[in-house]
Amino acid sequence: MSDEPVLRFDRVGLSYGPGADILADASLVLRPGSMTFLTGPSGAGKSTLLKLAFLALRPTAGRISLFGLDTGRLKPDALASLRRRIGVVFQEFRLLDHLSAYENVALPLRVMGRPEASYRKDVTELLTWVGLGDRLDARPETLSGGEKQRVAIARAVVVKPDLIIADEPTGNVDEEMGERLFRLFRELNKRLNTTVLIATHDMALVRRANADVLRLADGMVVRAQAPPALQQDTPA
Amino acid sequence: MSRHLAPLLPREDAREAALFFVVCALCFLAAFSGLVSRAAYAAAGAWTSEVTGQLTIRVRGSDADTARALAIVQATPGVAAARALDRADAEELLQPWLGAGGIPADLPLPHLIAAEAAPGATGVGDRLTAALQRAELKTTVDDHVVWSADARRATDTIGLIALSAVALLGATGIAVIAFATHATLLARRDIVELLHLTGAKDSFIAGLFERRFLMLGVQAGALGALFAFGAAAFILFAVRQGDAQTWLLPQLSLSLADGLILGLSPLIAGAVSMLAAKVTVMRSLSDMV
Repeated sequence: MSDEPVLRFDRVGLSYGPGADILADASLVLRPGSMTFLTGPSGAGKSTLLKLAFLALRPTAGRISLFGLDTGRLKPDALASLRRRIGVVFQEFRLLDHLSAYENVALPLRVMGRPEASYRKDVTELLTWVGLGDRLDARPETLSGGEKQRVAIARAVVVKPDLIIADEPTGNVDEEMGERLFRLFRELNKRLNTTVLIATHDMALVRRANADVLRLADGMVVRAQAPPALQQDTPA
Repeated sequence: MSRHLAPLLPREDAREAALFFVVCALCFLAAFSGLVSRAAYAAAGAWTSEVTGQLTIRVRGSDADTARALAIVQATPGVAAARALDRADAEELLQPWLGAGGIPADLPLPHLIAAEAAPGATGVGDRLTAALQRAELKTTVDDHVVWSADARRATDTIGLIALSAVALLGATGIAVIAFATHATLLARRDIVELLHLTGAKDSFIAGLFERRFLMLGVQAGALGALFAFGAAAFILFAVRQGDAQTWLLPQLSLSLADGLILGLSPLIAGAVSMLAAKVTVMRSLSDMV
């Protein structure tokens, strides 16, 4: 198995106009199969860093590599292929209101051109697993915040991506569901060697996870806690 | 059994209904202008073919002078046929101005000779004038080609104006559709961004808009063409019902060529809509990462 970093930030910066940098000189490395938490105070730039990681933003400085490829040099179709390997749980869910829970979860599979019959069982099982087996046809407007979050998580993991990026994935669910969802990420991480990057304020979850922890402060990434095997991976 | 999946772009909203109306109206105007343009050219063609080669010779003199003139006309090279118009013919010609039975018996009527030039013959009018002058007959040769050329120029101008209107309406349609597509894209930016971030290629996203606007263009175009057909049929019916001198009007018929104009309108509207959508979407997507 390749030990090529799944995600690498080399002195990445982001600023809008002449104002202060939103992100400055941020460097990090995520190895295949790693599980990493990104913490930091509100407004530190966690969501911005994640947006750069899932290619929603372009850095104004530095270099971002995904699966060994310099994203700044890739053409749109190649970037689209990279995005298919990433499952994203957005902080604001970003479910499509005119689609049912089932259709929202199936969205990445439709984008890939898969026929509905080929994924029906998987999508149904996944939604059942997150406790929404009886809400397959429900529109997002009829779902609670927690239910929406579970649909968003199911959508992110349905393609069994190589990298999962989640922004506060347990922010709107109760502790029990939060634990259950975290187990889903952990299971994907262990069983399928999926790399997971989670931004969270839930320090209890972080402590229980015993995973690598990055802290974002003043626009820079600081390693706060790292399993011994990974300590040498973060660039200085 | 497969589940029925909702389209990735939501069903049309009020904005698309407004666009549908605009495209429909533009197609109506374009199709109707196309019909008028074709009719003007057809009228010009009909007039020209009808009068080309026809000449009228007015003789100022006695019946004997008319007989001499007729003999000269018939002997002139390039004349296929000629005959003197009798009083009944002259009365029929004057009837639109003087009314039936409105010509007093003692009113002197002009002596007229109707001649027809042989197909392809040129300069017949000039030759006739020269021959009749040599015979010292007081005559006026009216070559229809002279005024039919003016009529042709007039109808050509009408046709050109109508074609310009079609072109202008087409350009307006493209601009309106591009603008509306951009507005729709902005309104659906959440969907476009999500599809983009989910790994959809630009061509996939553009395809969603292309299909939507192709259908909109074809449907609106078909309705516009239908209205144009209705308008043309109504005018045709009204003209035929009335007592108007329809020979002077553009030949607004519903022929095969008209059917072609009406049939092509929705296809052109659809193609233009699809192309405008594609360009707009691809340009907008190129601004994203």
